[in-house]
Amino acid sequence: MEGLGEVATWEMDMAGWHLVFNATTIMMTLVIVALLLLFGWQAARKRAPVPNLFQVVGELFVVTFWGLTRDALDEKLAKKYFPLICSLFMFLVLSNWIGIIPWMEEPTKDLNTTLGLGIMGFFIAHFCGIQAKGLKAYVKQYFEPMFFMMPLNVIGEIAKVVSISFRLYGNIMGGSIIILVVTYLVYGLLLPPFLNAFFGLFVGTVQAFVFTMLTLVYISVQVR
Amino acid sequence: MDMSGADFVRGMALLGAGIAMGLGAIGPGVGEGYAAGKACEAVGRKPEEAGLLTRTMLVGQAVSESTGIYSLVVALLLMFVVK
Repeated sequence: MEGLGEVATWEMDMAGWHLVFNATTIMMTLVIVALLLLFGWQAARKRAPVPNLFQVVGELFVVTFWGLTRDALDEKLAKKYFPLICSLFMFLVLSNWIGIIPWMEEPTKDLNTTLGLGIMGFFIAHFCGIQAKGLKAYVKQYFEPMFFMMPLNVIGEIAKVVSISFRLYGNIMGGSIIILVVTYLVYGLLLPPFLNAFFGLFVGTVQAFVFTMLTLVYISVQVR
Repeated sequence: MDMSGADFVRGMALLGAGIAMGLGAIGPGVGEGYAAGKACEAVGRKPEEAGLLTRTMLVGQAVSESTGIYSLVVALLLMFVVK
């Protein structure tokens, strides 16, 4: 309970700026990336008609998300944006699951990670919209029902970023705080595995899926 | 009772966190229950579509849960950031 709300940081001064890095988040993100690279290497190492374990899981990811991406976008765009969607889901689901291992923390427990991913999705969606419709039609959609609705439309677009990143952050952070508090209250007896299974595995999977689907939906809304 | 300004702010922040969480939990609770009920009706009508319906229901519930999550974030801010 003592560590609640504390963040391990690296601080440094560079060129007149005082920089603060969240050490845990950076280290855990790198661990996730390393695990994903290992997974990709294992899945593609010995490709065979009778697949090994990693290839089965990889094919499961690819087939599921290829279907979803193709339903949301058309065939050509789906081919372009499918790697983004699939790897986003794999990154998020592994990030949310790694919290159930002791001494490991979710990178998504930090607002910086989720806000970064949300802003990435925002820029990709709008770039894709400009590319698909042309700059003139893209600007025109902000003045859509009437010209004075422009500020509302702009705020609506920015609120999308805030909403998806705060949803993921709040779920993971809230879940981990509930696990911590309840574990403290019951002296670590009996309940924590079930709490970890619910908040880590179930909520983590659902929220990773929701984040991925919403990024995909934002792209498809901009393209249409 | 003597109470300095900082204590008052801290107490009010904790009170605000409680109010934010309590009132903010009403909407998602009602909304998610309604979505689950509708999904149950739909599964009763078309049991062969149960997988798709469950997936859609979970995504919809996770989206409608976000207002509750915002109030959770506000409550956490009030508890841990306001000193």
